[in-house]
Amino acid sequence: MEPFVRSTFGIFIRHLHRYLGNEVECEDVLEDVYADIWENPDHLRAIDSERQLLRTVYLYYMRKRLREVYRRMNRSSYLSANDMQNLVAPELGLCDLLSQTELKQVLHRMLGKLKARERKAMELWMAGMSNRAIATQLGTTVGAVKMLEFRTVLKLRRMLKEYCEEG
Amino acid sequence: MSNADREIQELLADYAAALRDGGLPTFLKSLTREEAKRISASPDFWEATEVVRLMNGAGFGDNVVTPDVGLFISRVDAAIVSRSKKVKASTREHSRSQVNLQ
Repeated sequence: MEPFVRSTFGIFIRHLHRYLGNEVECEDVLEDVYADIWENPDHLRAIDSERQLLRTVYLYYMRKRLREVYRRMNRSSYLSANDMQNLVAPELGLCDLLSQTELKQVLHRMLGKLKARERKAMELWMAGMSNRAIATQLGTTVGAVKMLEFRTVLKLRRMLKEYCEEG
Repeated sequence: MSNADREIQELLADYAAALRDGGLPTFLKSLTREEAKRISASPDFWEATEVVRLMNGAGFGDNVVTPDVGLFISRVDAAIVSRSKKVKASTREHSRSQVNLQ
């Protein structure tokens, strides 16, 4: 099991981070994922690419564990079980199987196509700044920043969709 | 995140910040009934979350990759040992009950 963990840890934990955003949670879930794979490795018998590996592990092992994490959280949320699942353990989207390197390159290219103000807001967000700090940098209100982010994210989604459909 | 009945763009911004900062449970708890309905009915929100997750992965995913995987591997080994003990125990239990039945 050790060589498998060593060769896949980086791929899997980066992918989990997209859904959880929390290092401790990511490691806890991944620990269970590897134990599940050890217990029932059948789904991984005929894997021939990194993309196929990630897809299979997400669909057969990770999603189940992600749902468990958030089933606990849903006790105190008004979201329906279905919405909760779509939020934390969704179906794979068009660009979800891009490698980390490819994803960074694509996003960098897409950000370059945005208007200066939109790009700045996204770059500041990705630098870890709060919306209040972004608003100060852009000389506007927090509400306006949130609206700008929302519109820009939807614009990015259209661009990503086009990219992934072309590829 | 404490404002009541946030608009959809505010909900997305708060979701994105919570995901980025590792505080998703706080965001989920902060939702009012009305906001949960608003999220449910907004295709734009769901499309936007897809991009937010990708941005979160691209921007911060590398931070969670520890340079030394050894410690994590020992956790996985311990989990596997624990599971194999459970399997053995349940097999023993099963054979004992079979013997008792005979």
